[in-house]
Amino acid sequence: MKPEVLIIGGGIQGCSTAYHLAKKGVSVTVLEKDWVSRHASGVNAGGVRLLGRHVAEVPLSKESMLRWHQLDDELDADTGFRSRSLINIAADEADMKTLRDRQQQMHALGHFHEQIIDQQELRERLPQVAEHCVGGVVSEQDGYAIPYQSTNAFRHAAVRLGARFVEGCQVQSLRQVGTSWLVETSQGRFEAGRLLNCAGAWADKISVMIGDNVPMSYSAPMLMITTRMPHFATPVVGAVSRPLSFKQFENGTVLIGGGAKGFADRDNNRTRLDYAKLAAGARNATEFFPIMKTASVNRMWAGLEAYLPDNLPVLGAAINADNAWHAFGFSAHGFQLGPVVGEIMAELITGGDSCFDLSPFRVDRFERKVL
Amino acid sequence: MNSYDIAIIGAGPAGMSAAITASQAGARVVVLDDKPRAGGQIYRNVSVSPLTQPEQLGPDYLRGAELVEAFERCSAEKRYGATVWHVGDNGEVLFSQQEQTHSLTARELMVGCGAMERPFPIPGWHLPGVMSAGSAQVMLKSDALVQDNAVFAGSGPLLYLIVAQYLRLGVKVKALVDTTPKSNYLAAMGQGLGLLSQPAMLVKGLGLLNEIRQAGVPVHRFAQNLEVIGDERVSGLRWLNDKGSEQINCEHLFLHQGVIPNLNMTRSLNLKHHWCEQQLCWKPSLDSWGQSSIASISVAGDSSGIVGADGAERMGRLVALNQLARLGRISLDERDQRARGDQEQLASLNRFRRFIDRLYQPIEQHRIPEKAETVVCRCEERNLGQLRTEFERGARGPNELKMMSRCGMGPCQGRQCGHTVSELLASWRGERVDEVGYYRLRSPMRLLNLTELGRFSRVEPATTNTNASADPVSIQEPSQ
Repeated sequence: MKPEVLIIGGGIQGCSTAYHLAKKGVSVTVLEKDWVSRHASGVNAGGVRLLGRHVAEVPLSKESMLRWHQLDDELDADTGFRSRSLINIAADEADMKTLRDRQQQMHALGHFHEQIIDQQELRERLPQVAEHCVGGVVSEQDGYAIPYQSTNAFRHAAVRLGARFVEGCQVQSLRQVGTSWLVETSQGRFEAGRLLNCAGAWADKISVMIGDNVPMSYSAPMLMITTRMPHFATPVVGAVSRPLSFKQFENGTVLIGGGAKGFADRDNNRTRLDYAKLAAGARNATEFFPIMKTASVNRMWAGLEAYLPDNLPVLGAAINADNAWHAFGFSAHGFQLGPVVGEIMAELITGGDSCFDLSPFRVDRFERKVL
Repeated sequence: MNSYDIAIIGAGPAGMSAAITASQAGARVVVLDDKPRAGGQIYRNVSVSPLTQPEQLGPDYLRGAELVEAFERCSAEKRYGATVWHVGDNGEVLFSQQEQTHSLTARELMVGCGAMERPFPIPGWHLPGVMSAGSAQVMLKSDALVQDNAVFAGSGPLLYLIVAQYLRLGVKVKALVDTTPKSNYLAAMGQGLGLLSQPAMLVKGLGLLNEIRQAGVPVHRFAQNLEVIGDERVSGLRWLNDKGSEQINCEHLFLHQGVIPNLNMTRSLNLKHHWCEQQLCWKPSLDSWGQSSIASISVAGDSSGIVGADGAERMGRLVALNQLARLGRISLDERDQRARGDQEQLASLNRFRRFIDRLYQPIEQHRIPEKAETVVCRCEERNLGQLRTEFERGARGPNELKMMSRCGMGPCQGRQCGHTVSELLASWRGERVDEVGYYRLRSPMRLLNLTELGRFSRVEPATTNTNASADPVSIQEPSQ
């Protein structure tokens, strides 16, 4: 049977949109070239972060945060979400100035979820933080979830409402004939009236097939996780001007990120790690948290992630084709947005409008203006 | 930056013989091993045994001393206490040594990481007091530690050897519970010709069992459905045989059902692997020179499939000859000529191996657990029932299962559960193990201290004289 909507890509955006479409009674099929949550949506750091968002994203991120706090109930699943607050640490006075400037900007826009904390409060919240850290900024609602479980929670909820997922199904070509999108895949032809591109690190290829050129790049942000350690950090931790990010899970393991990138081999579904950069990340972690000197790294990995030049995603209708939409290019911070993006895309695809200003996310925003 | 010609991971019989052959031909060779000295598991501490009468470990153990000595004399650079935790398909090797991370590159790599014991996932195998027989032997060889009055259970030549080694040292063994089924003896006879190809090894094997019986150790044969008894720790072992259910009390239980290749390095290198029905294990897919699906990476010894110490030594030489030819240091003709003797001996050893493999093939119920409460992943304490639930929720492959259940995510990186999970999923899906696959592995292959990772330096061979065994140049990277 022909579905009304085809979604290309079984990451969190595709799964969330499939769920929201199915909830509206729309028939939807998700085509995933590997398996659901295989890439960035399954292997990211799991940060559910509102703190430090680009101002264009703040309204979406705030709304999504409300969803996260009820998501387990809504999806009847365990996403592993924990609200733990997120603190970005200021290592010096220059960092504090950055924070004050940001706060002024945020207040002017009517956003009050980021609070600057002084050295004493930083120490109360993170007793193991190094002496030299002078303060920071906190967002109370932030936390983390388990990425693979979260993405699959959307998928299973969507399936219960009638959505179909086809895994191991790689799109080879697609074209619009009359009112239909014909999609040729490694598992034969699929057909639907409407099409959504959620193909993550491969989304530029799909975008071109739809007819929209987009200056997307891809990379391989790296992570490492330690064996279980005694509990020492409740909040998720970042740093204002250093590539540091970590969180301690309930089982005691500590996930260390920070944005250092390895080498992406997109054509072979593989990544290679840059160990000298991981070594620098290790030094950073031990410098901010001396207790980490004894930590043992258990695993290191990287995921394939899509980036746009302004580090903002593409969200909205295709420009050069009817009945096609895009949701990709989240530039390593799309996980938290998953719940709200699915809702927005489902609304757009079924002919509605979004209550958010999506103009900063247009796919043609990089087109050169005519002089 | 200067590169080595050949980096050899593991100073066991394969690595030592490869290093001797390659360095004699003038190649710049570095050998890395995480132990304080050469020998590998089989010849562990052969040069400095803590035992007063190491000859009681048997003539084979002492034969290793000769090989170790030749290796120590050769010009290859030896790095002991060097834990390799990453090997890249670009020839990059990262290792920890003296609380530092070092990086080197080599044109050719040889992986010789040996074998590990096959997991024995029966009810209660995770309880304190239950260990693998191999770890009993490690304690014996490294620290001269033994457990009195222990029960040994399982099957395979190594099990009998360890029991015999215990007895020779005057340690009391409470019982041997042998799980080799009657049907295996019949099936192995079908490989009779293989048996005759290595008569000396056959005599050796029978001799061990005789030795155990003559020492008065009760031997319970044809045991099936092993179950460890105990709540907090082991209190006994229960099994079934023709007569019904039997059990024995014990405070220490050593389990063993053969060895399998240590896969973590070849898997994290993403080499092509296949499931071997003869040995019921994953093996890297290699050509007759041990060359893997990545031409510059070769595998020898038990890492390539169980070949034993003698086979490993010969394979190591073959790998070295092929790599010397690839490096242009010898001609293909010379390689082929010098390889002939080892190739013939290996073929003969392989015929005998088929017989041994068939005779001691571990039974299905001890490889593929049946009871929901049987622990599969010891690190994350995941049992069969939990895995089955996730399988039914759609986790069809090892990686989906791992991400859903955390099975295989712990510090052992799936060493203990990888084979069990592959076979379990194959039986649940009704497909071949090859179709199911294995965990996608990543570095580090061992736990890695964060401070050590932060101290990152590069290692190069000495440049002046290719035969020199001088100290390598070590350059400290500027800190970032």
